[in-house]
Amino acid sequence: MRGDVWVVLPLACLAAGAFAVYLVARLLTSRNDLLALLTALVFAAALVALVPLQITTGVEHLPAWGHFGPGGAFLRADPGALVVAGVALGLGLLVTLYSGRYLALDHRYETYYPLLLLLMTGLVGMVMAADLFNLYMFCELMSVAAYVLVAFRRRLDTAIEAGFKYLVMGSVGTVIILLGISFVYREMGTLALSPPLSPPMGGMKGGGAWTRAGVACFLVGLGIKSAIVPLHTWLPDAHGRAPSSISAMLSGIIIQSAFYALLKVSLGLGFPARDLGALLIVLSLLNMTLGNGLALVQTNTKRLLAYSTIAQMGYIMLSIGVGLRYGVPGAIQAGFFLLLAHAVMKGLAFLCQGVCHFYCDATLIADLRGTAARMPLVAVAFSVALAGLAGVPPLAGFTAKWFILMGILRSSDALGYVGLAAFLLNSLLALGYYLPLIGTLFAPPSSPPMGGKERGREGRQPPPPAPPPTPGEGRGRTASPPELGGTEGGRIRVSPWMAVPIVALGALVLAIGLYPGPWLDWTADVGVYLLAASASR
Amino acid sequence: MTSALLLTTLLLPLVAGALLPLCRGRQTKHAGKVAAAVVALALACVVGLLVALRRGETPALAVAWIPTAGVQFALRLDWLAFPFLLNVVAVSLLAAIYGWGYLHVDARLPAFYALLLFFMGGMAGTVLADDLFLFFVFWELMLVASCALIAVWGEGDQAGRVALKYFIFTQVGSLLVLIGLIALYVLTGTSSLTQLRAAPPVLDPRWATALVTLFVVGFGVKMAVFPLHTWLPDAHSVAPMPVTVMLAAAMLSMGVYGILRFPLSIFDPSLLAGFSLPLMIAGVVSQFYGALMALAEEDIKRIIAYSSVSQMGYALFGLGTLSQPGLAGAAMHMVNQGIVKALLFMGVGLVMRGTGRRRISDLGGLRHALPLTAIGSGVGALAITGSPPFCAFHSEWQIFAGGFQTPHTVVAILAVLAPALTAAYALWFIRRIFLDPRPEGLEVGVPPLAMRVPFALLAFLALAVGLYPAPLYDWVTRGVLVVTGGGW
Repeated sequence: MRGDVWVVLPLACLAAGAFAVYLVARLLTSRNDLLALLTALVFAAALVALVPLQITTGVEHLPAWGHFGPGGAFLRADPGALVVAGVALGLGLLVTLYSGRYLALDHRYETYYPLLLLLMTGLVGMVMAADLFNLYMFCELMSVAAYVLVAFRRRLDTAIEAGFKYLVMGSVGTVIILLGISFVYREMGTLALSPPLSPPMGGMKGGGAWTRAGVACFLVGLGIKSAIVPLHTWLPDAHGRAPSSISAMLSGIIIQSAFYALLKVSLGLGFPARDLGALLIVLSLLNMTLGNGLALVQTNTKRLLAYSTIAQMGYIMLSIGVGLRYGVPGAIQAGFFLLLAHAVMKGLAFLCQGVCHFYCDATLIADLRGTAARMPLVAVAFSVALAGLAGVPPLAGFTAKWFILMGILRSSDALGYVGLAAFLLNSLLALGYYLPLIGTLFAPPSSPPMGGKERGREGRQPPPPAPPPTPGEGRGRTASPPELGGTEGGRIRVSPWMAVPIVALGALVLAIGLYPGPWLDWTADVGVYLLAASASR
Repeated sequence: MTSALLLTTLLLPLVAGALLPLCRGRQTKHAGKVAAAVVALALACVVGLLVALRRGETPALAVAWIPTAGVQFALRLDWLAFPFLLNVVAVSLLAAIYGWGYLHVDARLPAFYALLLFFMGGMAGTVLADDLFLFFVFWELMLVASCALIAVWGEGDQAGRVALKYFIFTQVGSLLVLIGLIALYVLTGTSSLTQLRAAPPVLDPRWATALVTLFVVGFGVKMAVFPLHTWLPDAHSVAPMPVTVMLAAAMLSMGVYGILRFPLSIFDPSLLAGFSLPLMIAGVVSQFYGALMALAEEDIKRIIAYSSVSQMGYALFGLGTLSQPGLAGAAMHMVNQGIVKALLFMGVGLVMRGTGRRRISDLGGLRHALPLTAIGSGVGALAITGSPPFCAFHSEWQIFAGGFQTPHTVVAILAVLAPALTAAYALWFIRRIFLDPRPEGLEVGVPPLAMRVPFALLAFLALAVGLYPAPLYDWVTRGVLVVTGGGW
């Protein structure tokens, strides 16, 4: 085995950490906060392990590990993989700290934290995989961990149903991927994805019928895992039932990592960039329109955020598609910048929703009324996340929008302009659900809902007088555990385990928006790398 | 020194706005005083900047912000921007003082003034920005702050819906402007307005036409000209009065500034010639439409709101003439309209506070009970019809002179006829509220002093600027030179 051993270090850290945390949980302690701290340490160590890879990477020489020659490298830390892995580990760290309190309602901590670490192992391995077998193995690891985590609240049958749906659809995707691998192997004789700017190995030319069939299988299989319309139907259900910390990971980085794998595999197997770009633009139109359209009619907050993710994935796909089709690295860079910004904003949104669920048992949008009075920090942070997603300056979403538009305006034929028109219309459409949600957060608890007619009410009636808040009273659906903080005069004190990640993410949304330079530099190489990967075919 | 003044004018309100919500408990009642003091300081800085401008300097400031995209945090004050800046800051000061009397003191007061300061900061930043990205950031800040003010402090139970409609409608305009800005950046490779002016882009005529259309329509939404005006009556009538004053007197002029700064400054007149007639016609249609709707309305705040649509029609007509007096008149009209519109809305607010009523058919005979309001509103009504010796006479004269310099005489004649309708609704407004017999059961109380003082000051200004318009003439003439570069 030759190559840079540094490449394995993050993976080894995460995998070993998973086992270590499980052993600690079984043998030493099953306290939520200690396990959360330990898991957070593992994430931090893995993040530190990424740093030397980031320093040495470049399109000409990528740190890789494994056999060279016909067997190919096993792992390769290309620029896109580093961006995705970095975002994933950062988000995972904050989500773990958040779970230190959030998971008080669910009790199987010795299952949760190791599974989260295994999920991350699978994710980082999948984006760094340099051959199809490893890609498949890590993808499976990530997916299975995700299925279990989605169904984590196994006492609720709806959670089991959502997890099962995800499992079935995900497994169909996996089988199709396996089929694709077999097609590719039949033609190529090797499973390696060669790096850009180096001669193809094993006579791999790409373009034969079997390879094309294989690429099609990958597009469908990985498309299911990245919730591309019309293969997205598992996502809203999974989000609606999973714990909010898992939803944050799912929407924030899991589907995006599957999408990156899709890009790498298709380009690495010889799918021409122009055609992949055109396909992505067309698919993005579906994603954007369906995501925004269905989000408008949702009443459950987490399902609304799930559809919003589908729409935002549409924007990412549009930008990357334009970059691939017209050879604009800046557009791909903008797409990955939005991927990063979206992970932060959507993660923040889900974590805030989780806090509202934890203290006030809020699942519907209407339940969020009065949040500003009870938990002003959460209301402001949630509004920052939503305003960022809506593209309001000076937040991260607007900066991403600016750079995406800059990329799209360099298109040279009509398809790009169709995408542009759809992007603008969808930005407007999305305001129709982001803004009322912000308004609901700041609305007093019993006033009429904003922005629409109330169902079943004809004519105006004066709103009933608000009942005085009674501290400590549960809302009826799931009993609030007695160890929750008391409410003095309606104000709820949010635990620091949850407040600190929320404040950190909120500050990050503002920082990325106001000072995007370093983040843009981080994502700059990805466009060059992906275009080089296709050009050398 | 001047760049320090520039930075203070912009950043002081924004920083103060960010810190104001930290007021708690007994400090909340001082929030209004603090906000007004901050705006007064900004006004002092603007006067200092005027001194610098008169010496021939151009206060400017540029700091690198996003080097990968060539975006800078760049501010610049030239003669074009100056009247607009002065208008924004002065109107905001008077609105803040008006708010002392208008708003009830409660725990949310610091948040109101914080958003008011952000609103003002957004407008000031729009006018001062010398970079495309920065311009748009402040443009949106203006929108977000005003929308939040309408959503939370709006009057009536439709406040939330109106705020949503306002946001979405204005966002359509903003998105068109955004595409225009980004296209300009992509085509010219620079994000700096100074560089764009120094080296006007040579573009394919189709691209240029598309860009000018985008800018005109996008800024037209903000100007609320027909048929892009439908957000205005609802937003103005639902918003609390200090916000309405700022919306009508200062924010609408941002659209005019945008049109002056972007399509007119950057592109060659030959590219713009095709837009002249459509803009003039659109202006005339707005003039008549606004005036007719003002005649038809019952709610006194909506009457003045439609009057804004009509006045913006005058400005659009002036812009469309593409002539020196037309452009100068349009810019001057923004300042005059700022004075007069603020005056009229404050008068309406005094009537509403004094009587508790909003419908014009429920009002009448208030000239004895509210004498100051009657005189001030009378001044405002006469001013808005463009009659001497009040301020709007000068700007309307310039606009019509510009109209007759174009070959489209018929349109210009129609434009000159519009003041007749303006007089109709304005004078009928005064007659119905103040001169007609008083209806039964109309109780009148005296409005607070803090609401009456800015009102009186504006009435005085309307007369003073009308009698001594020389400084204003001087400023806008130099401003138009910036646009035309002496070449038109």
